[in-house]
Amino acid sequence: VATPVGLDLDAFWSGLLAGADGLSAIERFSTADLRVGRGGEIKKLPAVAVPIRSRAAGLLVAAAADLTSRARLEANPERIGLVVGTALGGVEELDHALADDPGARRALAGLYDSPAHALATWLGARGPVVTVSSACASGATALGLGADLLREDAVDLVVAGGYDALCRFVMRGFDALRSLARDRVRPFDRRRTGLLLGEGAGLVLLARERDARGPRLGRLLGHGSASDASHVAAPDAEGRGLEAAIRAALDAGDAGVGDIDFVSAHGTGTVLNDRIETAVLKRVLGARASTVPVNSIKGALGHTMGAAATLEAIMCLMAARDGWIPPTVGFEEADLACDLDYVPGAPRATRPRCMLSTSLGFGGCNAALVLEGVA
Amino acid sequence: VRRTGARLEAVGVLTGWGNDVAALPDDARAAASGHAVIPLARPSLDGERFRRATRECLLGVTAVHAMLEDAGLGREAIRGAGTALVFVTAAGYGASNVEWLAGQAGTLHFPYTAPSVLPGEAAIEFGVTGPYVILIGGPAATVDALWQAARLVANGQCDRALVLAVETFRECATLWRRARWTLPGPLVESAACALIGPGDAPATYRARAEAVPLASTVETRAGRTLACAPLVALALARRAGRGSAVVSGTWRGRTAAIELAVAAQPARV
Repeated sequence: VATPVGLDLDAFWSGLLAGADGLSAIERFSTADLRVGRGGEIKKLPAVAVPIRSRAAGLLVAAAADLTSRARLEANPERIGLVVGTALGGVEELDHALADDPGARRALAGLYDSPAHALATWLGARGPVVTVSSACASGATALGLGADLLREDAVDLVVAGGYDALCRFVMRGFDALRSLARDRVRPFDRRRTGLLLGEGAGLVLLARERDARGPRLGRLLGHGSASDASHVAAPDAEGRGLEAAIRAALDAGDAGVGDIDFVSAHGTGTVLNDRIETAVLKRVLGARASTVPVNSIKGALGHTMGAAATLEAIMCLMAARDGWIPPTVGFEEADLACDLDYVPGAPRATRPRCMLSTSLGFGGCNAALVLEGVA
Repeated sequence: VRRTGARLEAVGVLTGWGNDVAALPDDARAAASGHAVIPLARPSLDGERFRRATRECLLGVTAVHAMLEDAGLGREAIRGAGTALVFVTAAGYGASNVEWLAGQAGTLHFPYTAPSVLPGEAAIEFGVTGPYVILIGGPAATVDALWQAARLVANGQCDRALVLAVETFRECATLWRRARWTLPGPLVESAACALIGPGDAPATYRARAEAVPLASTVETRAGRTLACAPLVALALARRAGRGSAVVSGTWRGRTAAIELAVAAQPARV
């Protein structure tokens, strides 16, 4: 991984457990004309990413360097696939192509699938290179499609995940929409006022059960997606698409709601998202809703957009491995409309086995993953 | 409900040359007469809801209408959770991004910079609430999208799936001109939608494959339609009355291919 709270898996995980705050004043570009100038910015990229001109591609390579230091890609390169999700792709390169670089390379780098192809080259992966752009649900759908490629026997290994770089393009957009919190991100808290954006990348190595070598973090049991078909920018008021995605993921994973021990929520810290998500989880989990821990790591990282769902899935698997659920940083005061167990204050000592991760995004995108840890 | 397979039920195509593949010239390069981009006009769709929608969003909605016409179906046939939507584009978000970067767009335009908003508008218009996948890339990504659609249908995760592709180039013509050595023109704006339904034969997907002759035919006749190209190929196969079609797509050095059964076109009155 590469995140504002840690540039490798160990630092990311210890940062989450410690309740680290990865949000700070943005330094890489000017925010002087914006209402909010804070976000989850990575101040210094790892050396491996520094020579890469595209920050988005650099984040992916930084995460890939961490991944390949832990797991080897032992397969015919033509049978190694890459599936990554992003909300913004190479849009910062498009900005440069328009403003200060008339070259052809920069123009092509502005395409949203360019960072994935840069990563495939870096990895030496010559199988399918797939870019998913289901907005902020991209990182979940990417893991699902990666698993589908394995099931289809189209590949033998898949590097899957998500990424996005913090840039003026997106800061200016969310600032204009008045979606950004002026102080801190407070998922599910009574005083929540909005989200803060972050940047990062998360990648996992997927293999079929029979081909898996070395230590495993867990299994992707099922994934589901659904369209809201209600609004291009706001979630469905009843959360019907999110509920459909969750139920589809449970069905695909042959799991029941009684199996879910922990939920990693989208939990952006906006008034609407957190209320809707809570209502959906209560409908899906039923009588168990108040007993299942639910967290959001966006108070620590900011909303890392295309990376968010993958980082949250990795967090789930680490929780299962180590028996600790990270707290929801920023959650302090309960809201009547958000009345679940949001893991306040400190990490929770419990070892979830089966976990649900939920994501939503612009365009009415909803996605859910059902994961199983290996104790 | 697991099914045996999936098949192409219908396909609607709009290109800068006109509606349907019947409008394609024999030789796109000659027909372009040196024009780098063959544009599509902004469709005029009724409704207050579309007042902010971008041209590419409206093209997506219009392509779904064209598919329904080809299928002989009304819009109710695709409403609801039984229909999946798989959207694919290489560059359909470029115009909205350039406009936002140039500071020419208002606040409410920002969501339209996300590629997911184009299929989002189509989903709203037709009430499509099933599985939802959005891929970025050229023709190879469309083959991946067709595979996703076919497997969603075959696995019983939906009753039918739409594969929607939209490509626009006009607003980014200067950027595309820089890359003309990679993508020699003409770049032909296009929007296409395929309807995949249950069938007797499984779709055969190859994530790496050789290009098939139909892909060359599409390029010769339609020009560069990027993500729309495999759907144009399916439309040509369907109009030719073929019972199945192998379509391929090549993008950034990878060629993928898929074989799909093709339903016969309903008789026209």
